[in-house]
Amino acid sequence: MGGYMGRILRVDLSSGKIVDVETSKDLISKYIGGLGFVVRILWDEIDERTDPLGPENRLVIATGPLTGTMFPAAGRYQMGAKSPLTGVWGQSNSGGFFGPELKFSGYDAIIIQGRSERPVYLCIYDGKPEIKKADHLWGKNTYETADMIREELDDREVKIAAIGQAGENLVKFANVMTGFHNFAGRTGMGAVMGSKKLKAIAVRGFNSVNVADPEKFERVLEKAYDLVLNKWGKAYRESLTTYGTPNLVDAINDMGRMPVKNHWTGYWDKAEKIGGYTIRRLYRVKQGSCFGCLAQCKYFVKTKQEGLSGLFKGPEYEAIVSLGSCLLIDNFDAVAYANNLADLYGMDSISLGMTIAWAMECYEKGIITKEDAGVDLSWGNYEAVIQLIHDIAFRRGFGNILAEGSYRASRIIGRGSEKYAMHVKGLEISAQDGRAQQSSGLTHATAARGADHLTSLSCLEERGYANVAAERYGEDKVKDLVDPLSTKYKGMLVKDLEDLYALGNSLIICWYEVGWPPVFYFDEMAEALHVVTGVDLFSSVSYVREAAERIVILRRMFNIREGLRRKDDTLPERFLREPMPSGPAKGHVCRLDEMLDEYYEHRGIDKTTGIPKDETLIRLGLGDLAGRYR
Amino acid sequence: MTNAFGILVFNPGNCTGCRICEMACSFFHYREYNPSRSRIRVLKIEKEGIYIPMTCLHCGNPPCVDACPTGAMYRADGSVELDTKKCINCRMCMLACPFGAISVDRVTMNVIKCDLCKGDPQCAKYCPAGAIKYVRVERAGEMRRRSYADRTAGAISLSQSKGW
Repeated sequence: MGGYMGRILRVDLSSGKIVDVETSKDLISKYIGGLGFVVRILWDEIDERTDPLGPENRLVIATGPLTGTMFPAAGRYQMGAKSPLTGVWGQSNSGGFFGPELKFSGYDAIIIQGRSERPVYLCIYDGKPEIKKADHLWGKNTYETADMIREELDDREVKIAAIGQAGENLVKFANVMTGFHNFAGRTGMGAVMGSKKLKAIAVRGFNSVNVADPEKFERVLEKAYDLVLNKWGKAYRESLTTYGTPNLVDAINDMGRMPVKNHWTGYWDKAEKIGGYTIRRLYRVKQGSCFGCLAQCKYFVKTKQEGLSGLFKGPEYEAIVSLGSCLLIDNFDAVAYANNLADLYGMDSISLGMTIAWAMECYEKGIITKEDAGVDLSWGNYEAVIQLIHDIAFRRGFGNILAEGSYRASRIIGRGSEKYAMHVKGLEISAQDGRAQQSSGLTHATAARGADHLTSLSCLEERGYANVAAERYGEDKVKDLVDPLSTKYKGMLVKDLEDLYALGNSLIICWYEVGWPPVFYFDEMAEALHVVTGVDLFSSVSYVREAAERIVILRRMFNIREGLRRKDDTLPERFLREPMPSGPAKGHVCRLDEMLDEYYEHRGIDKTTGIPKDETLIRLGLGDLAGRYR
Repeated sequence: MTNAFGILVFNPGNCTGCRICEMACSFFHYREYNPSRSRIRVLKIEKEGIYIPMTCLHCGNPPCVDACPTGAMYRADGSVELDTKKCINCRMCMLACPFGAISVDRVTMNVIKCDLCKGDPQCAKYCPAGAIKYVRVERAGEMRRRSYADRTAGAISLSQSKGW
């Protein structure tokens, strides 16, 4: 069989025991890899009694069958655990070079359990796993940690996943750095590592990733490269390669969907100051890339303002919104500096920015005072924001409350601050607005890890891909599908894309191959999967679709087991009741209920409870779960 | 026999460090993906965004050829070739190469180096960033000259061009 390395590593940090087991054929044929593996392993090994920060929680890191091959943008890995931020399903994936290196070292996945007494790091060098002392690394930031490990191992090619001080201090939205410029950002995976006293994972390997049918794969590659570079070339080259994701700032602002002032509105007349064109012209110095990618959206910036100057990784669209427009900061030097601080401490820039945005709105409304916060939390005060980032990472003063994330912090503060916490299921809302693009509201409401743009976000209406919509769903539905303000067919659309993303995250390929622009659909992905692995079952596109559905439904069952129901698939009041105050989508609210019913129907979920129907579970081979939850 | 008129040219300023060249090389020679078996490597200083693709430069006066005791390494038209039948794997060429362009394949334990993929270098074919190109020898340096000219053009106005 090609594509898989055939081994899964299990590390128990409590006992120091390391074992590796075969990647079972059953797991492969039913769950493909990546996200699929994480879903099945977490379902089997933890349950509703598991404390996210306790030793019994599992941290699963999984690669997919395409990881490490030359398929476009297949350089990712998937991480998952019960989330300390939300208390329910947690997942995050990242590009960079760590995922492929893990495969070159001979493993499809790593399962980490237990808790070490002293700080440690896991070193897998040439396929030999070893737990090493990390007392000297504890207290160091992400970059220092990576540098020190490389020096210690006397090898600068070692790929490192590490946490910073935020992860050590159990900041609920701490993330995991992978190779300097990439982060498994969301749902607090860094805090899970911190709770296990696991500072880092260092990997270098020299094995080969095999392909079952190299001749056929060559043709698959030619087709895939042609699709990306020629068919979608203009969209790629002009946007991602030239500007990176900040190009979205200008485009999405024009659509009236770019969150401003803690999601108060979706349009900002100052957006241009922190947008892609400005960055390209005044700040950008170099381009970067993840493993095997053709989009190459990474970039570097040089900032000049005194006190904020430096050479930094360029902030992505999401970070520019959460640390920029959502705080009314129009100074790009400050945004890039704050984003770099978040990287060094190891914090999710989305949750970090949105939590501070919540505090700023509470300050404006008089719920939080200067005495509470210790700083002047007026909108746009970037000096206060930078001070708070330091305080959050070390859990000092008011920062200790913000380190819990906006949902928990609002429960601690109370006094009506709850309604300003922009979260779903406890996860801060990413940079879309369901009032301006109805389907993104449904995406936020239904995503398993909470408000999220990487579970099923549709790009069809974002840029009006009418041809793609017609090809996939039929000519008759195009008018509504490409209209961002129409709710019709959006339940069907989000269900379909949720499956597509689940498959993409299991292979694993980047969102910029399946989402925007919409390069690959089920057919292309199933073909690549079949040719790489040589597994006969994968030759059927409908079989692969069903596997993707199984992954989505079992992931939903994880949350059902945690006690989540239909009432949790919702949005903050702001999106449902407060009409958009300005911009192109002025006057609109998110009409969530209309879409939610349609989504449940297509998903095979009971509309009253939100639990997958027995017939759905049986159809997907999950019959043993039927009737278990009410 | 490789194309005597072809030459590999590099522009590290364009390199984004995606390592597609390493994979294309490994797949062409071994039908599998393994950067450690690639004859081209991207060296990085990650924090500064600096990426440098490194492979055999096919020197005109190759120290590896001088060092080779059996004549396995030889200078052909426009390239440095390795005759694996004559090679005794003594690795003297590795010692001699100032760029580290020669390595040892961990599977066969043989010395390996860039062979220009029989005239169709895969690294250049697949490089999406324009950092590696395979051009006629007459055109070597042309792209750098053109890019310099384009950049200079913006700084020169007609009024300034009147004499010195």
